[in-house]
Amino acid sequence: MNWELLWKCLLIFTLVGYSLLVIIVIFGGARNIVDMLRDLTKPPDQN
Amino acid sequence: MDVFATNFQTIDWVIVCVYICIPVVIGIIVKKYIRQLSDFIVAGRSLKLFIAIATLTGTELGLVTVMYNSELGFKHGLSAFHVGIIETFCILAIGLTGFIVYKLRQLRVMTIPEFYEMRFGRNVRIVGGIILALGGILNMGLFLQAGARFMMGVTGYSNPAGLKLFMSAMLIMVLVYTVLGGMVSVVLNDFMQFVVLSIGMLIGSLFAISKVGWENLFKAPATVDSASWFNPISEGSGFGSLYVIFMVILTFSAGALWQSGTLRALSAKSPKVAKQLYAWSSVSYLARRVIPMLWGICAFIFISQSPKLLAAFQGPDALNSQFGMPVFIAKVLPSGFLGLIAAGMFAAFMSTHDSYLLSWSSVITQDIVAPLKKDKLSDKSRLLITRICIVAIGMFLLIWGLWFEAPVSLWNYMAVTGTIYLAGAFTVVTAGLYWKKASKTGAKIALYAGLLAILGIGPWTTGENVPFYLSDKFIGVMTFAIAFLGMIIGSLIFPDKTKQGEAAR
Repeated sequence: MNWELLWKCLLIFTLVGYSLLVIIVIFGGARNIVDMLRDLTKPPDQN
Repeated sequence: MDVFATNFQTIDWVIVCVYICIPVVIGIIVKKYIRQLSDFIVAGRSLKLFIAIATLTGTELGLVTVMYNSELGFKHGLSAFHVGIIETFCILAIGLTGFIVYKLRQLRVMTIPEFYEMRFGRNVRIVGGIILALGGILNMGLFLQAGARFMMGVTGYSNPAGLKLFMSAMLIMVLVYTVLGGMVSVVLNDFMQFVVLSIGMLIGSLFAISKVGWENLFKAPATVDSASWFNPISEGSGFGSLYVIFMVILTFSAGALWQSGTLRALSAKSPKVAKQLYAWSSVSYLARRVIPMLWGICAFIFISQSPKLLAAFQGPDALNSQFGMPVFIAKVLPSGFLGLIAAGMFAAFMSTHDSYLLSWSSVITQDIVAPLKKDKLSDKSRLLITRICIVAIGMFLLIWGLWFEAPVSLWNYMAVTGTIYLAGAFTVVTAGLYWKKASKTGAKIALYAGLLAILGIGPWTTGENVPFYLSDKFIGVMTFAIAFLGMIIGSLIFPDKTKQGEAAR
């Protein structure tokens, strides 16, 4: 088994994949926070 | 080159001090959103997908995570990456199938032992709660110590007395904002920490790689055996086949049932979001392993190029291997950026603490104190008990972190202490959800079996020529096996007489 090639591919995949995830979560998460705080200020029976 | 030489300057201190005050301010601001216990513990079950990913990553990517993974990379080289691959596939499998987490979210439980009661009765819940709290609190026992070592390495401040002061101050800040804001405060801080730390780690990785060189990264240093640097199955790597098996069982069970992570799934807006959360987060689980390991590997290559630095990590008075990564980044990251990384790490330290403190204190309140009390506890009393527990656990951590030295690596200590809870919990929840014949006697045997894992942190697990049956990995695997067999045999010999827990299946 070519361990060197496996670890090279893993490292590249991690750095690229995680960069993309971070960008997606920053924008999506900010919107979600606004929604969460709005939900929490509703009267309990509407939650 | 001096071991503790650092690029950390006054401007870095300023960045750190300003940054770590932010969570406390957020805790004070969001206190007004906390009206009932479910707001405090599961943020009113209002988490949508992306904020749930951020908060799950924020919790599971703490300073201690960075420390134990970088230590693995520093000690074992590229072969350490196998733990990342295993964990990622396990998390992805949970996300794609919804195994355990989908059903638990459907049942609207707030803690794992709450499920024990639904399925197996109150006594099992109390036993499970005690073992969960014991394993969980022991598991976080070395967080402060690891955090302090990071600070020493990065700031170059090596006075032990000052270090204890730092640890105490950081702990007090965590206690303040967790006690005030509960899960809402934790979620907002996790998000901020996710953003800063993720960007910092990605940029930091580029610095680390550029310092040692991309091609050098994939060449074993002259001081280590080439095969064991790459191959985790090689016994010389310090891992071996049994360790790999232990990691598969451990990371799968921890992925599904580690209380602080599962709490995020239970806080999700719907069972479907809980499932999606795991599928998406498999990438961040990979990153939380591979990136710190990369830093540890770069640190070892860098240190092995300098005889003076290498000497500091060898011999009878060698520095603990946890110092490798912080000592390295203190020398290669520029001032300013180093302050930002340190601030992100401190925030990560606080973010992990807040979630774990909240997890274990809510288990003590919900699963031990409340079931033992005959009168129904009001939400107000539960909140008060949870807050008292947070402070009490914090005090324990300070004392344990100051005097206990783990005989094994930080990750192996955490794996073994995690097994105390996970061996029983994974067996009990899986059988409870998917096996009709699972009985309360079988559940109790499985939970008690988890206590065997304590043997894995004893002094007999280290030293030269430790027999395989005394190694932490063997004890870990056997604990899971005994818990599993205990559940099956106990359930078949002592089946339940009543049809309790029908709804929980």
